[in-house]
Parts: sequence; C-alpha cells; structure tokens
Amino acid sequence: MSDIKPIRIFMTGVGGQGTLTATTLLAKTVLAAGLPVTSGEIHGMAQRGGVVESTVLIGCKSPKIGHGEADILLGFEPMETLRALPYLKKGGLVLSSTEFMPPLAVAMGKQECPTIEDVKKAVAAHTDHSYFMASQTLGLEAGALQSGNIALLGALCGAGKLPFGPEALEATIKANLPEKIQAINLKALELGVKALDA
Amino acid sequence: MANPLLADTPGAQHLLLGNEAIVRGAVEAGVQVVTCYPGTPSSEVPDTFYRISPEGKYYFEYSVNEKVALEVAGGATLAGAMTLCTMKHVGVNVAADPLMTLCYTGAPGGIVLLSADDPGCHSSQNEQDNRYYARIAGMPVLEPATAQEAKDMARDGLLLSKKHGAPLLLRTTTRVNHLRGPVEFGPAPDPGKAEGFKRNPSKFVPIPAFSRPMHVALLERLDALREEAENSPYNTVTGSGDFGIVCSGISRAYVADALEATGLTDKVSVLELGFTNPMPENKCTEFLKSVSKVLVVEELEPIVENELRVLAQKHSLDLEIFGKDVLPPNGEFNVTMVENVIRELLGEEAVPAATCDQPELPMRPPNLCAGCPHRGTYFAAKKVFGDDAVYSSDIGCYTLGILPPLQAADFLICMGSSISAGGGVAKASGQTVVAFIGDSTFFHSGLSGVANAVFNSHDVLLVVLDNRTTAMTGHQPNPGVDRTVLGENDHPLDIESAVRGLGVTEVRTVNPFNQKKTLAAFEELKELNGVRVLIAKEPCPLFTRRVHKKVATQVAYFTEAARGNFEVLDTLACPAMYRDGDMPAINPILCNGCMLCLQLDKNIKAKKRGS
Repeated sequence: MSDIKPIRIFMTGVGGQGTLTATTLLAKTVLAAGLPVTSGEIHGMAQRGGVVESTVLIGCKSPKIGHGEADILLGFEPMETLRALPYLKKGGLVLSSTEFMPPLAVAMGKQECPTIEDVKKAVAAHTDHSYFMASQTLGLEAGALQSGNIALLGALCGAGKLPFGPEALEATIKANLPEKIQAINLKALELGVKALDA
Repeated sequence: MANPLLADTPGAQHLLLGNEAIVRGAVEAGVQVVTCYPGTPSSEVPDTFYRISPEGKYYFEYSVNEKVALEVAGGATLAGAMTLCTMKHVGVNVAADPLMTLCYTGAPGGIVLLSADDPGCHSSQNEQDNRYYARIAGMPVLEPATAQEAKDMARDGLLLSKKHGAPLLLRTTTRVNHLRGPVEFGPAPDPGKAEGFKRNPSKFVPIPAFSRPMHVALLERLDALREEAENSPYNTVTGSGDFGIVCSGISRAYVADALEATGLTDKVSVLELGFTNPMPENKCTEFLKSVSKVLVVEELEPIVENELRVLAQKHSLDLEIFGKDVLPPNGEFNVTMVENVIRELLGEEAVPAATCDQPELPMRPPNLCAGCPHRGTYFAAKKVFGDDAVYSSDIGCYTLGILPPLQAADFLICMGSSISAGGGVAKASGQTVVAFIGDSTFFHSGLSGVANAVFNSHDVLLVVLDNRTTAMTGHQPNPGVDRTVLGENDHPLDIESAVRGLGVTEVRTVNPFNQKKTLAAFEELKELNGVRVLIAKEPCPLFTRRVHKKVATQVAYFTEAARGNFEVLDTLACPAMYRDGDMPAINPILCNGCMLCLQLDKNIKAKKRGS
C-alpha cells in the first residue's frame, strides 16, 4: 500500500438519509478504480433518527478515522458537518449540505440549531477549502430527494481531490443501481458537479 | 442465478461487509447448520444467511435466545454437522453454560461461535472482552482485522474446529463486523450431508467419571492447537529493529496505518497475532528475545500483554513491556492514538492533538419513531402511574422510553430482567412496579421470569410491548410473528396463551393506539395484586411498511384552533411534530397515521395522505 498516498473520507448524516448507500457506492467506485479501499459504518440505533457516521479510506488498513485524521469531510446535514469537524485535518476539504434536518429537541422548540452562517464560520476557521450546496434541493431537481446524496458525492468526485473523477462514479451508478433510478441519480451527480462552480 | 455469496466462483472479488464476508467464509468451509440470536454488531451474519437461505444448502434458524442457539448448534455438531452459531458479546453470557460443556464433549462436525464484541459500546450495555471466555472454556480464537480475513478466518476456523473437534471462537469487534473491504473468493464446495450422531457416552455425557478424562482430552487438544498457532499464517513477524510491537484483532490495522504515517514500517519489528489462543508461546518468546522494548496493542483487556509478561518471567527475559500503562483498557483505539504511543516510546514528538472550537450543539439521540405503538403504551402508563411506580425496563427499541418526556425506564439489567428484577424491587421494598418487555425479549428469557413471579407471588404489572417483530435489530422473526420477509410463520406462539399457561390469571390485551381502552386496562390492573399482564399489541410501523407493504392512508394535522397550544407536541415527543412559529405542526411525510394524538386534542384532525 506504500505507493498510494492515504486519503481518508469521513461521512456524516442522519438516520434514514441514505448515508450508508452513498458510502457503499463511493467504496465501490474506489475499488473499481483499482485502489485499495476500506470502508466503515456504525449501525445500530441509526434508523431511529440518530447520527450516522461512515468512512471510506483509500490506501489504509483501518476502517476508522480519528480526530484530525480525515482529509475530506462529507456532511449530508449541516449541523452534523459541524459536529464532525474535529475529525477533519486542518486545511482538509469540506463538502456539505446547507439544508438542516432539525433533531427532535429543536423541532419541539426546546433547543436551537446553529445557523448555516455559524456552520460556515466554524468550517472557515478550520479550512479554506469548502463547498456548501443545497443537496436535497438538487436531489429534488434531479427527481428524488434521496438522490441529493449522489449530488454531494458527485461534487466530491469533481473537486479534484480523489484519484478519479465524476465519470468513475457514473460508471458505478450504472453498474450497481436499479435501472429505473439510474437516470435520476446520474442527473443528481451532474447537478452536484455543477454546484461546485456556483 | 445463485447469490454471489453462495456461488462457486473461486477468484471472484467482491466488496463485502465484514459480516457478509463471514457468511462467505462459512459457505466456503461447507457449513451445514447455522443458528443465532440476532444482536448488533453480529446481526448481518444471520440476516444474510436467512435472506439467501432459499438458495443455500444449509439449515438456518433464528433461535429464541443464545443459550438455545448454542444448544441447537451443539446438537448439530455432535451429529457431525459443520456448524456456525452467532451472537453479540453479551449473548455469550446467556450461552455460557452450554459453551463450557461443549468444550468438554468436543465438536465432531466442527463448530465456530461468532462473538461480536463492542468496544466503545456503540450499541451495547457493556464492553466486556469475550477473549476471556475462550480462556475459561479452552477454545482456540481467531481475530480478523479485514474483510478478507473475516472470510478466511470463518472458513479456516470451521475447518480447524472440525479437524481437532474443538469449538472455536471467532472474535470480532464492531469495526470489523461493519467495515467493508474487497474479498477474494475461494471455492464453495457442496456441503453434503452431516455424518450423523455416533454413540459414545464416555465422550459425550459429562457425568463426573467421564468429565475428568474429558478435561484431560480438552487439555491435550489445546496443546495440539498451540502447535497450530505456532505455524499459523495468521501469526506473522514483519519488519526489523530493537523496538517491537505485538498486536491483535483490529489493532493490527491501527498499527499498520500508524507505522505507515510515521514512516517507520521497516524500523520496527511487528508480531501480528490473528490466532490468539492458545498463544504461540515459542513464536512469542523468540520475538520477545529479538527486541529490547515491546508495545502490546490490543483493545480492552490486557490479555495478550499478560501472557507475554508471563513468558518473559518464565524465560527470565530482560525487556520492557508496555501495554495498558500507555493505552486505555476501555473504548476503541484509533490510528493517531497508536501512532503517538509509538512515537513517545521511540523518543519522538507526538502528533499535536487536533483542536477545534465548537459551540454546544443540540444532540440527536435515537427516538421512538413516529407512529411507534410503544409511545401509546408509555403515555397511558405514565398517565395512570405517574412517578409513583418504579419502571423496570428491558432490551429493545422500547428502552428509548427512557427519554423525556415519557421517561418510562428507571432501571435495566439484561435481556428478560424486567419481570424478575421488577419482582425483586417489589419484594424488597413493597414499591409499585410496572415492568416493560418486548415480544422477542419475552420469548428470549421472559417466560422463566413470569413462571418465577407466579410461583413466588411477586407483585408486579408486566406490560408486554408486542410489536409483532424484533424491531431494534432489524425485524428478525421471533416465535410470535405472523409473517417474515420469506413468508408466513407456520407456528405463531400466542403471548396471552403463554402467560395464562404459566399461571397468570389477570391478563388483558389492548391496542395501545386506543388510548381509552389502554387507560382503562391500566386502571383496572392497578387495583389488583400479584402478577398481572397487559399485552399492548400493535405491529411496528416500519415492519408493517417493509413486510406487509402497508402504509396508513390517513395522516394527522393541527387545525387553526391549535395555534399557540404545544401541549400534545410537548407530551408525546412524536418526531413527526414540530413548532412552526406559534403553530404546532405535523410533517405529513413523517406521520405514520397512528392517530394517537387525535385522541388527546380535539384540534388535531385526520386527512387523506397526500391531500
């Protein structure tokens, strides 16, 4: 593995968002590119609306990412992006959704979410390399809310930090997703890549 | 086309979850019988076996608990079948009794016990280290670190177990069960038929006269297995240098990545132990002799460390051994943690700790889902008993009733303890006790608690939260379910008949979404003494959607008159409800149409979904 510079990607979202599906798609893309991949997930109570954290590591043996180890942080929900920020190396890459999914205490009016400006400010203090996008809206534009994850993955592949580009993810989608949802996800991928320039 | 996990396609490569890799490994060994009790992080092993069972050439069952699972598996291996039995770490506590004896009788067909440990308590009540069980029982242990090893060790563990007739522990941790990595397949031979039970009472009936020689035979098996460990390809020495690292399980991955990061891969000697019991004493001693300082990297207990310290003493070796004095005996490790300890011991500077200023963020704990029937039961129980009862809880989704505002879980010991420990509270103090248990947990180990409570005249109200499935771990079937993802349950057990059969005379069954009837049942049972059972019966909505393919046709909404009134929102804590300025509101996508809220506030109405 020594000739491959390790890349650690930390992904975070909310149970039911499809974070794990996105994680597996990315891991399959890495494998198809002929690179050594390990990916990790923490299941359990995730489907009850808890936080879901997962990882994709290129050129590493461990499936886990500790604080300060991630080269890339992918946040499918902005408050979770902020919560996971300690995992990111200083100067690492952040790709995050801007659309909040308030936890129950916030929905009930007992607590408040940070604002998107709070999130952006905290990220900016950690790195000057970040992209924010309304990924769920991009998903809806592509045809399904869930495909918003693919938009964010597409942006990741287009951001120039991985040893492959969006076309590799496109091939994985074609090879692994059921035909009837391929078009939506390919569209979401395209919108995600475009959102990098927004 | 056969499922890829079952196909005889040597050389094929697939990206697999650690747990799927274990399934493939067992298939490659020719597994004939698989039993389990589900539990995170082990569940995807049995769930995968179950899902592909229509195409598989093995017998599979979800057993009612871990003890029963291991007993069925024990019978199977005594009948010559190659057998796998899976559970989470605390499940081994339940199965410990048959485990100890199976190691005496031996396993003619081979048997692997998968124990999925959970350092960090991601989804468990403790982080016990089950490598100790292997030492109590006298079992060989394999500990994978990658998906490929999970596959290979499941296969080789079964073959080794059969070769020596020794039950073998395949010990994983959450990170291994739930990692994903490339796995290269080997051949998947047809398992054929089990050889059949061959009568031999002196080997298989542990009366004291036979147990003594059986123990001698076990010790001899362990000697033979130690030789296997000495020569095992899973125990390797790499690198060179005066500083040594001994590591096992997932820690091997952290060490590999840490050395990569420090650029010291070739300057440090590493002994990787994948086959960790019996320890390869010669290999370990030779390694200890080759270095002047050694760091032992293993999560949780200092098991390898202590064995190495014994070896050093035995051989009068003068070297420094570091382990739990520099690494924690609790929780998980990570690469930076291991890297910094290595750097420190080599006299180098540590990697500066990552700092990150963060505001206090609202937590996102898991909650009872929108439309969860437990909410209706808890709401009614609290209304009738308030804070005057002690709420004895059990293990399942319903433990989430601990959260405010329901707060219906005061204490919890283990699977099935709600009734028995609840009875203990009542006997000791005379306090009012309401115990909650789920349907799967009831069949797991609630039955004996009910029998005990009736026999000993406990004063306890047991509420069976019967959501018709094993919801928490992913909707596995249990004896009470009506149907499963593979079809109807031919022999559904009826909980009401079961408790009546155990001698409970005061039994009521209600639908917890009918608040009036549920409240009336609680009020009625409150006035009675002795063992009383309320069965709150209503399927888990996630299960209904997934297996019965049904979604409620109506959703609830707040009418304008509710403006400014957040009482229902505050008391139910339904995840579908939210505050929209001064208006309480219901997200129609999240609403499961249980209509519990309609019964609490006349300003909530029902409408057709999508209207």
